[in-house]
Amino acid sequence: MAETMTAGLRLGQRVPDFELITYEPTKGDFGKFSLKDQIANKRWTILFFYPADFTFV
Amino acid sequence: MGADIVTVSTDTQFTHLAWQRSEKELANVKYSMGADPTGTVSRMFGVYNEENGLDLRGTFLIGPDGKLMGMEMNFYNLGRNIDELMRKFKANIYMMKKGGNEVCPSKWKDEGDKTLVNPGAKMVGKVHEALQGS
Repeated sequence: MAETMTAGLRLGQRVPDFELITYEPTKGDFGKFSLKDQIANKRWTILFFYPADFTFV
Repeated sequence: MGADIVTVSTDTQFTHLAWQRSEKELANVKYSMGADPTGTVSRMFGVYNEENGLDLRGTFLIGPDGKLMGMEMNFYNLGRNIDELMRKFKANIYMMKKGGNEVCPSKWKDEGDKTLVNPGAKMVGKVHEALQGS
């Protein structure tokens, strides 16, 4: 998957399903994000990429 | 507002935990902190920098139907404006609520601000008049 999709996504396009392991500060525990779950729960998602922890964001 | 914020970097969830617990600025964080150490998700969104393994400052808005509704990308040296992000987000929710025949012009900030209704042939060359409400 990664090799074929380095060019990024287009606006209006359906985003292919993906998952991320997360840290959940409100729970103090690890969790999982899944786009499929967001769609099932009719939730909007704001994805906020940044270079690295321990730097200014 | 029916939305979830997920921050993503190529750090692991363990580093996220350590950073959130040590940095006082992050003491009240409510959002999920996503870990993408392989860069798989970052590559999919086109924010992965192969040269240094770090993500660019990209923000993506995904609708409840899984469609990509907005994107913004800045190089490392420019921070993002959260007001503009919220404006775009509110506008997207508002337009979806209105069912697709209303659009938000550049100066739209919040519900109640002037929108353009049913933009079409009649509005060509008459956007000024439409914004004045005549």
